[in-house]
Amino acid sequence: MKLIHHTLSKLSIVMIIILSIWAGFFYFSILDEILDETDDSLENYKNLIIQQVLRDTAALDNHNDLMSQYFIKEISEPQAVRYKERYFDSTRFYETEYEFDPVRVLKTAFRGQDKKFYELTVMISTLEQDDMIEAMLQWIVILYFTLLICILIVSEIVFKKSLAPFYKLLNWLNDFTLGGKNPPLENPTKVKEFRKLNETILKMTRRNEELYSQQKQFIENASHELQTPLAICRNKLELLAERPDCSEEQLQEIEDIHRNLGRIVKLNKSLLLLSRIENGQFHEVKEIELNPIIKELVEDFQEIYEHKNLQIEVEETAVCKVRMNESLANILVTNLLKNAMIHTPNEGSITIRIQSAGISFTNSTDGLTLDQNRLFTRFYQADNKKSESTGLGLAIVQSITKLYNFRITYSFDGKHHFNLRF
Amino acid sequence: MKILIIEDEKDLREVMTRSLEKERFVVETAVDYPSALQKINDYDYDCILLDIMLPGGSGLSILEELKKLRKRESVIIVSAKDSIEDKVTGLDLGADDYLAKPFHLAELHARVKSVIRRHQSDGDIKIEIENLIVYPDNHTVFINGEELKLNRKEFDLLYYFVTNPNRLINKTTLAESVWGDNIDQADSLDFIYSQVKNLRKKMKTAEAIPEIKAVYGFGYKLMTIPEA
Repeated sequence: MKLIHHTLSKLSIVMIIILSIWAGFFYFSILDEILDETDDSLENYKNLIIQQVLRDTAALDNHNDLMSQYFIKEISEPQAVRYKERYFDSTRFYETEYEFDPVRVLKTAFRGQDKKFYELTVMISTLEQDDMIEAMLQWIVILYFTLLICILIVSEIVFKKSLAPFYKLLNWLNDFTLGGKNPPLENPTKVKEFRKLNETILKMTRRNEELYSQQKQFIENASHELQTPLAICRNKLELLAERPDCSEEQLQEIEDIHRNLGRIVKLNKSLLLLSRIENGQFHEVKEIELNPIIKELVEDFQEIYEHKNLQIEVEETAVCKVRMNESLANILVTNLLKNAMIHTPNEGSITIRIQSAGISFTNSTDGLTLDQNRLFTRFYQADNKKSESTGLGLAIVQSITKLYNFRITYSFDGKHHFNLRF
Repeated sequence: MKILIIEDEKDLREVMTRSLEKERFVVETAVDYPSALQKINDYDYDCILLDIMLPGGSGLSILEELKKLRKRESVIIVSAKDSIEDKVTGLDLGADDYLAKPFHLAELHARVKSVIRRHQSDGDIKIEIENLIVYPDNHTVFINGEELKLNRKEFDLLYYFVTNPNRLINKTTLAESVWGDNIDQADSLDFIYSQVKNLRKKMKTAEAIPEIKAVYGFGYKLMTIPEA
């Protein structure tokens, strides 16, 4: 969920509650005010009528017009003493319109000039008042939604404007690659917190860059320091072997040393490669078709492993294209294929299935299932027989798949399956 | 043929010198950036072997200097870094090849001869040993004027032998040179045996005078003159 949606949804929940309370309160207080007003005019009307009746008994006649009417009825004294003035809502039938209309009624009692007691009923039509309340309700609802929408729109605009430096920083950070070419962070802002954030992140990335280049430098230096003495040893041995006074036995010894030196060279190279992959030092990426690479490798490997008499089958169901570094693509496929080649017993079989978004390597075995948790760790050896391999091949595979978010899985059903998904 | 080795590591410089001298090259050496600069200013060479990390400056600046002097020397960068960026920069600056340390001497010979041959480019580039002629560019081999049909790997093997005549080449070197990084120490190198056997049989049938001789337990050697 985006920050803006998160904030706006919270804000709208609060706004809906507050505005609802406000609208309800507003509606009922206005309503109350209107009723009060009606009752006040009833009271005035009553006073007018009573004054008129006291002056002139002719006014004791009932009065009736469209808006207001009153009736006067004689009552007994005890009734008048107990009489309580009251207001209430009622309806009245109007013959002219032939319908019932709402009215507000005041019933009260008074004593006339003739010392008799009378009950006075005054009515005012509240038809217009109802219309008014209805209109008011309608406007409150309109105002309610308009206000809500306006608040949300304004908040969104303000939110986006004021958080622009934050998003710019976020995008910059997202595009940032250690050791890659990064554009300078141009994010001027007046907000103190954002300025601080910019500074802190710049400081952090600079520190990371420094550490990264230090580490890179260390790896390069270490490899330089190791490769040169290795080169000297190897080349001296090669010259030594050419001396005519070397016996066959000595040659055998020299070859053993040469071979072991080769292991160190390979190990050093593999460790270097692992560090370089994990440091993300393979920047260049392009679209690579894996089918021809695999087919060529299979051909090469078939020569190398001809003594094992392996059955190698390549099933192509589609063209497999991946965006990645070219050398890493080669290393990835080579290591998986090599792993299968080395660990398949003589006369065994290997199947490579190439699909559009994945490749699977299946090889027969006379062994058991492998430890999934340790399979891809450095120097893991399933059986001690293959002690001469570096034990880094699958670790390299895993670090490449991690780098590109590919998936490599292992399963066992009497055969080893390595499944690579892009 | 004159070769300049620019390398600060004494032992490596010596071993390279000795090996290249065996191939009848005239070898001179420079130990640091200033002496290398002086040598390329004063003399002409057929090939320069250049280390990138030098005391007193970068080997890449020497490449730039060569360009400024308008010299056409073949340059092979010999570097311990083995990084793709260095390789690309070096080749962009006009180097002819890139060899990562640690290398095999046989590989060094092959590369040196290859760049020198390419540089001479007098049209007909070939390697001739007795009645055996190899044309590296179009991958063809002739014995007594008759073409010898070889597959890709057999040709690569033979090419390796003819660039290192009369030198002992061990199996690992051969395997790594022809099959590249796909080979490692876990592999049995028995397949080399059958590949070389096929090549020898073909050469023998075509009556080639040079002969590939097996040195038990170690490797092979191309004898240019048959043993008495």
